[in-house]
Amino acid sequence: MSTTVAGSHAHDEAHGAHAHGSFLSTYVFSLDHKVIGIQFLFSTMLWLFVGGLLALGIRWQLAWPWTEMPVIGKILFAKEGGQISPEFYTMLVTMHASVMIFFVIIPILAGAFGNYLIPLMVGADDMAFPTLNMLSYWFMWPAFALMICSFFVEGGASAAGWTSYPTLSAIPQAAPGSHTGQTLWLWGLIFVGISSMMGSVNYMTTIIQMRAPGLTMFRLPMTIWGMFITAVLQAFALPVLTAALFMQVLDRMVGTGFFIPEGLIVNGQSAGPGGGQPLLWQHLFWFYSHPAVYIMILPAMGMVSDILTTFARKPLFGYKPMVYSISGIAGLGFIVWGHHMFMSGMNPALGTTFMVSTMMIALPSAVKTFNWLGTIWGGKIEFTTPMLFALSFVCMFIIGGLSGIFMAATPVDIFIHDTYFIVAHFHYVLFAGTAMGVFGGIYFWFPKMFGRMMNEPVGKLHFFLTFIFLNGTFYPMHILGAGGFPRRLADPYHYETFKHLLAMNQFMTICAICMGFSQFLLVGNMAYSLFFGPKAGRNPWKANSLEWMAPSPPGHGNFDFQPVAYRGPYEYNFPGHDTDYYPQIEPPRPGEKQPEHH
Amino acid sequence: MGKFWSFLFLLVPVLGVGLFVWAPFNHHWLPRDVSAHGYQIDHLFNFILGLTGVVFIVTEMLLFWFLWRYDGKTNKSPVKFTHGSHNLEIVWTILPAATLLFIAIYQMNAWADVKMHKPDMLPTVEVTARQFEWRLRYPGKDGKLGTEDDLFHVNELHVPVDEMTLVKLDSADVLHDFFLPHMRIKQDAVPGTSIPVWFKPVQSGEYDLVCAELCGWGHYKMKGRLFVESRSDYERFLAELEKKQTATNVEKKAEAEE
Amino acid sequence: MSHEAHAPAAGHLKLQYQPALPLRNGKLFLWLFLSTEIMFFAGLIGMYIVLRFGATVWPVPHAVHLSEPTGAFNTFVLICSSVTIVLALEAAKKNKSDAAKFWLILTLALGSVFLGVKALEYRAKFAHKIVPTMPGSPIFNIYEKADRYYGSAVKYRAEEILDGVAAEEKALAAKYDAMAAEVADKKLPQAEADERLKAIADERAKETASREEGEDGWKKKKEVVNPLLSEAKTVNQPDILYGLAARIMPMAGARDKRHFLGLNDTYHWLKMPIVVPGGNMWAATYFTLTGFHAIHVIVGLIAFGLMMPMKFTAANCGIIENVGLYWHFVDLVWIFLFPILYLF
Ligand code: HEA
Ligand code: HEA
Ligand code: CUA
Ligand SMILES: [Cu+2]
Repeated sequence: MSTTVAGSHAHDEAHGAHAHGSFLSTYVFSLDHKVIGIQFLFSTMLWLFVGGLLALGIRWQLAWPWTEMPVIGKILFAKEGGQISPEFYTMLVTMHASVMIFFVIIPILAGAFGNYLIPLMVGADDMAFPTLNMLSYWFMWPAFALMICSFFVEGGASAAGWTSYPTLSAIPQAAPGSHTGQTLWLWGLIFVGISSMMGSVNYMTTIIQMRAPGLTMFRLPMTIWGMFITAVLQAFALPVLTAALFMQVLDRMVGTGFFIPEGLIVNGQSAGPGGGQPLLWQHLFWFYSHPAVYIMILPAMGMVSDILTTFARKPLFGYKPMVYSISGIAGLGFIVWGHHMFMSGMNPALGTTFMVSTMMIALPSAVKTFNWLGTIWGGKIEFTTPMLFALSFVCMFIIGGLSGIFMAATPVDIFIHDTYFIVAHFHYVLFAGTAMGVFGGIYFWFPKMFGRMMNEPVGKLHFFLTFIFLNGTFYPMHILGAGGFPRRLADPYHYETFKHLLAMNQFMTICAICMGFSQFLLVGNMAYSLFFGPKAGRNPWKANSLEWMAPSPPGHGNFDFQPVAYRGPYEYNFPGHDTDYYPQIEPPRPGEKQPEHH
Repeated sequence: MGKFWSFLFLLVPVLGVGLFVWAPFNHHWLPRDVSAHGYQIDHLFNFILGLTGVVFIVTEMLLFWFLWRYDGKTNKSPVKFTHGSHNLEIVWTILPAATLLFIAIYQMNAWADVKMHKPDMLPTVEVTARQFEWRLRYPGKDGKLGTEDDLFHVNELHVPVDEMTLVKLDSADVLHDFFLPHMRIKQDAVPGTSIPVWFKPVQSGEYDLVCAELCGWGHYKMKGRLFVESRSDYERFLAELEKKQTATNVEKKAEAEE
Repeated sequence: MSHEAHAPAAGHLKLQYQPALPLRNGKLFLWLFLSTEIMFFAGLIGMYIVLRFGATVWPVPHAVHLSEPTGAFNTFVLICSSVTIVLALEAAKKNKSDAAKFWLILTLALGSVFLGVKALEYRAKFAHKIVPTMPGSPIFNIYEKADRYYGSAVKYRAEEILDGVAAEEKALAAKYDAMAAEVADKKLPQAEADERLKAIADERAKETASREEGEDGWKKKKEVVNPLLSEAKTVNQPDILYGLAARIMPMAGARDKRHFLGLNDTYHWLKMPIVVPGGNMWAATYFTLTGFHAIHVIVGLIAFGLMMPMKFTAANCGIIENVGLYWHFVDLVWIFLFPILYLF
């Protein structure tokens, strides 16, 4: 072990303490990126629970339509007599997706991990603009509040799908959820947007301007690259969604009619003079939301890359191709949005263009997949819990990505659009991909965040159960989709074509319930380890990047020394070196040949 | 434990492929195709399935093999210290690129057939989707829509077999989607625009007409039926419709005069 | 560097960084923020282009009371304000705090002029009800065509006006009747009572006359509205309706320089529903685009206001530079909006 690292270990105790201040300024309105990150983490996990419960409501209805839900039915759907009504089903679907995407996945990646990791991994003492950072967390609360409220207003929560297509969403009388619920949904998303905006500008500035000496852009860990490109995507795509959200708000509150064609009569009532175009919303929405699906996966890809190299004890295979492919995904991500609109009535020739660009966006993902495989090839793999989650990310991202190819093929999409094939696709990329990556990230960085290790056997059990039940829940969706089983349908079984798919749905629901319960292992493990886990040193995984050189948990200002980077973050098993890892801050030994610069 | 985890990951390709082998033989597959163009779509589906299947098996087997072989507990050989390989990167960029480009070009005709080469004919029927039913309007004797002798019907779409059907698809209120699973047809109905949809059924029978775009609380029950029948049956249906309609018209007139 | 750097640090260590760009963080932040703003307005302008070119008809500026000279004047005002803010920065750089403040105040004033003109323009639109209509409302502000719905809206409005007149007449009568009854109740001596009643009657006649006469008097109202009403009652005849629409709110069919005076212009109380083909979408886009721009102007003005108490030197002129950058951006957005809204 090198002298410098050993030297800094000695000061662990001295720096465990936070800066002095009142409880409020230390833990609630803290400006410290670490506290804000942890606030994001706990808030989003709470929302994961909410989103999961909503998902179980969906699953219940699909397995045992129009029957009373046991136990929670009485609590959740008291008004409906414990039974899910058709309008409530549409609200479940909408709110499940909205919560999962806007309140779980995006804020847990950018808000929790981004906030916690960026300053630590680039060797900064905090974000460039701490106050803005704090605001970005507190802007989530009006959004939370609006979403919660929307369940209790007249007509209930928004029910037009997370895509919120007009005219269903824009005309109050078109659906129960399109009354106040939809307006609250729109305002909630505007707040989420402002929060993300503040975050992304902050992250970009921090990464561009506040890297430790020697830490060039091409020595950054992949996590930081993922966060950086995500921030760029947010900054350029999100304002367009914000504009669209405002336009829909205006349609509903002022009557601008951007998305309402001329002279529509809905439910016997005029919808205003209109003159607008329903498809305009779809273009604007997907202009953001397609890049957003990459916002929802790039940081996880970065985290997975870091975890894979750490536990394969091997440098990342193809660092630069990885960076270029992330950037490529981001660039191409802006020109493929139309693949969500193949059946929308958009000009079919345009469909062909979008088909070609969509095919091409699979390329950078292919490069990433092969490089991950290259990374574990020839390593010395340690099967820790974070590693298992990271491996499962690779394993199942392939499934989700490959199903994307079916849908990108326009003629095939004619049949599978709006069927469970799509639902399978995005749960494989979002849950089996990103969420598994996030779980891996929690197990990986928990020791840094709280200074204690999580319990490994329980973690592995959590992984095992999640992995099994996840595939049990979502894999059969491909088969449903091949059968043409349509999504967003409260009761598909009254169509003759889909009657026979009930049994498979029941199997999936049982798996989903088991998967839901398995998550208590994670919650329990975190709660227990927070107080009773064994103390973690600075660098429990023997990793290289800068955050592992700081104390666990890092004190105010993060570092008790000036971090300086001498090489990239992935020099594991460097030939001739005395340990199998080679932290970025260790100066080169005299006479040692340094890794070639990439 | 390394072996255990490797096997767990091996389960994914084994069961994954297994399910796709099991499904077609157990009625869990694409519904019977009864359209003239559908074979192209099914063929493409199977083609992509085969292709991605190969990619899936290869990548997942590699993953399994690496986990098995390079388990830190049992792997005694030194770590292969490498930062990557230029040649490999080029290979695994070019190969998928070529494959994807091939798929992209290979499918264009099928797409054009279904969505771009509109047959040169008058619409067979006008379908107006509304919450939550399908309003149908057949041109009467004159073969033209929008005239006095138009025939109206709800939810039960009759079309002649072996003939091209051109649907003029409209929506009266919100988005809907005209989905004929057996006909391999899907098209959103957009208020404010009419969209042409065409298909040629090749087998008589009774099939589902599904609304596949969320259109409100009753979306799930917006169910129609497609009746594909011989020309003579089709004409009988139209004639009956006309008879009924004139009867009600006469009744209405009588009522109005009263 | 390395070994000293790792020396144990007591308290907060000041860390060193290697910035990639030779900018202060605040400036970089502003640039990044402005790029998100550009995307925001790009979204809105894209929306405008799609809707405008997707629309079958689009009103000419005169049909919606939009005046190019006013817009051009406002463009000029805003460009001037961009110049004055640059001058303020130059002055601050030379440590001339007072001069800087002068230019700053001038910028603020020009910005306010812009907003004032905008407010006048808005008022004209509101006065003619060239504003979007709430979905679901039975009566529209703007009609796309002179159809049956338009006819019944005219009828509805005409009846509303006549009912209003009738109600006023009734209220007036009731008022004087009550006064007379009060006098009667008091059991005054006959002479005094007569005198008072006569005074009341005189006043009544005077007020009635004054309410009947004048541009918005009852007489005029009935005179103008009654024919409209009888015309609007024939709602199923499109020709009649169209003539009616043309009289209430004549639209310049071609690009006509003359300003048409419709009935709504002549009688400000009339407030009849109007027909502007494509008008609802026009109003929607116009108010959304200029409204979001105006909000940005207001934010800029607030920033200028907050800077007023400061003393400017070369050392702290960065703030003028940053706010100025933002102001140029706001200006730039208007330079895009002016031609697409007023000229094309
Ligand atoms: C994290 C989220 C995420 C990610 C990463 C992706 C990735 C991709 N998505 Fe997905 N997508 C969603 C989230 C995501 N998607 C969501 C949420 C929806 C539905 C929204 C809604 O309607 O509600 C959706 C819907 C969706 C549609 C619309 C379907 C429809 O509604 O009809 C399409 C169509 O083209 C599509 C395509 C793709 C493609 C081609 C990729 C590619 O990027 C995938 C690339 C990856 C691989 C291909 C695998 C690895 C590669 C190899 C192993 C190499 C070899 C491969 C070959 C040679 C083929 N997606
Ligand atoms: C990140 C995104 C994300 C995540 C994580 C999930 C997670 C899940 N989703 Fe989600 N889903 C979407 C995004 C996501 N989904 C989107 C975008 C849609 C489209 C919506 C639309 O059409 O508009 C959708 C739609 C959708 C449908 C289709 C509905 C329809 O079209 O009719 C279904 C059906 O099965 C489903 C199921 C599930 C299930 C079972 C989970 C499970 O993985 C959830 C498991 C997690 C938990 C259960 C939480 C953890 C629980 C605890 C900690 C406590 C356990 C409690 C109890 C068991 C009481 N989802
Ligand atoms: Cu109509 Cu769904
Ligand atoms: Cu997409």
